Amino acid sequence: MRINDAILGAVLLACSLAVGLYARTFPAIPGQEYGASVFPTWISIALGLCSAVLIAGGMRQWAETGAVSLASWARSGHHLRSLAITIALVVFYILASTPLGFIPTAFIALAILFGVLGVKPLLTPVLAAGITMVVHYGFYSLLRVPLPWGVLTPWAW
Amino acid sequence: MDAILLATQMVFQPDVLVTIVLAALFGLFVGSVPGLTATMATALLVPITFFMAPVAAIGAIVTCSAMAIFAGDIPGTLLRIPGTPASAAYTDEAYAMTRKGQGELALGANLLFSALGGLFGTAVLIVAAPSLAEVALQFSSFEYFWLACLGLTCATVVGTGSTIKGLVSLMIGLLVATIGLNNPAGVPRFTFGSVDLMGGIDFIAAMIGLFAVSEIFRYVLGMSPDTSNVQAPAGNLFTGWGRLFKQYWRQSLRGNVLGTAIGALPGAGADIAAWVSYAVSKRFSKTPEKFGTGHVEGIIESTSSNNAALGGAWVPALVFGIPGDSITAIVIGVLYLKGMNPGPTIFINNPQDIYAVFLIFILANIFMVPAGWAAIKSARLLMRVPRNVLMPTILLFCVVGSFAINNSVFGISVMLIFGLLGFIMEENGFPIAPTILGIVLGPLLEENFVTSMIKSDGSFLGFFERPLAAGLGIITIAVWIVPLGLYLWRKARS
Repeated sequence: MRINDAILGAVLLACSLAVGLYARTFPAIPGQEYGASVFPTWISIALGLCSAVLIAGGMRQWAETGAVSLASWARSGHHLRSLAITIALVVFYILASTPLGFIPTAFIALAILFGVLGVKPLLTPVLAAGITMVVHYGFYSLLRVPLPWGVLTPWAW
Repeated sequence: MDAILLATQMVFQPDVLVTIVLAALFGLFVGSVPGLTATMATALLVPITFFMAPVAAIGAIVTCSAMAIFAGDIPGTLLRIPGTPASAAYTDEAYAMTRKGQGELALGANLLFSALGGLFGTAVLIVAAPSLAEVALQFSSFEYFWLACLGLTCATVVGTGSTIKGLVSLMIGLLVATIGLNNPAGVPRFTFGSVDLMGGIDFIAAMIGLFAVSEIFRYVLGMSPDTSNVQAPAGNLFTGWGRLFKQYWRQSLRGNVLGTAIGALPGAGADIAAWVSYAVSKRFSKTPEKFGTGHVEGIIESTSSNNAALGGAWVPALVFGIPGDSITAIVIGVLYLKGMNPGPTIFINNPQDIYAVFLIFILANIFMVPAGWAAIKSARLLMRVPRNVLMPTILLFCVVGSFAINNSVFGISVMLIFGLLGFIMEENGFPIAPTILGIVLGPLLEENFVTSMIKSDGSFLGFFERPLAAGLGIITIAVWIVPLGLYLWRKARS
């Protein structure tokens, strides 16, 4: 999905303005000319200039490309749904892994994603369980990453 | 001499050797599956190297990246789908050879000249790095400031595509680098009261997002190529190696030299080296009309070049701490984590660490021949790995890897945000490598700038007072002005 450069430029320009203004609130170091705000200010100026160039270029192409030229996936409800589910599953992991524990969360997320991507339904739970346990063994037992146990805490090893 | 002996002892430990072999297999696998890149392989490896001894960690990364760059040639040759971007330059050529029934010859040449290129890059690294380090010892904050500027400039100018988009990408990276408490003034910037943001954006989680998660999004959207109808090469890969070498040693050497040089340029890596070498090979060939019809000459030159670039990229990384490409950007992050801070002093204080890196480079490129042979033989199997199982597994890996950095889910949020950012950027033609270089070099740039300004009492002239600094400064400014001048001149003429 290609968004016209003018729109991206406008978003970046807004960002650079926000950064530039916010940087003015950083406290100066007494007796020192170059404090915490210098770098962010420079970046915001450079980003602002770049976005101006992008806006100018994008306006010239506007007649040809329009605001957004959609890729084939953007017109396919199936693909968009898959993307939304993938992102939602990562968010689900972020929110649920601590209370629920790694093993149930990873199993649920994997099983749903396998389903979305068309893995055979009979294989899905087997694969999800197998991969969850392999990753758990690798990171928790071998690399000693404290993956959360959550509801399984009484059975933790 | 003691240092070399010590380095040999450090490398020839069972655990280090096992790690190298495993990393090689991992690199071959990731490199040969289209859609998974060498940079992605490295990014996925970092959370695991976190828990290793320094030498094993570096060994894993070196081996994995070398193997992945070679293995990218396999699907390129057999399916016309480059396994990693570094193979894209000669994919059409290699596939044309397969159609002519010369797939074995193409793959054999890829394997031989990849390994030779890697060894050449290593040799340059061994010779150039210590002598450059002696020069670098005289560097002060002024020189480091210019070097960082030069690196960032090259990253935006040399890359393919729009320079202005490269610049935007760089600015995004620099902006991300300013987040947190870690600045010369120690002021919390852009933290919005969040304790997690105080520590800054973790660069590994950002990498995993930009290079791995964005690729998973692309797969989910059905943008990955179909690889089901692959034919495995049946013949002997090693036939004709002697003849190839005798006939094309000049091309191989030219590819090696150019690749190493491009690799050493900050910001330009194996991908660009391969494109440039392919063009050079065609330009100087006695039979340029054969290019594109399945001619091995250009393949040899560019496959030599992309593997040589890997070694070259380590020169500025080890000596100055300035990454030569996105893989060495990750490496620098790992070196700091492992207490092997890159810079000239490491050559004096811990020469055994440097020799160990050299040794691993040599081992990896020699091991490439048998391992690469096995990978080519099992190509059919590798390319048929069901990706609807593989991609969710990689996503789980990314999630756990991002968690493992600080044992906090904040890393996963960073990963997700950068995954989306990387996806949107790629879709709209913004290169990703400058963002990574910006995140890595941002703090260096700012620290050296502020230190220099304090030293010179706020006078910009300080940046040109020392001869070394003045030289570097003039080169940097020339790199800014020359392309702009050329552009205006061409515009004025037309």
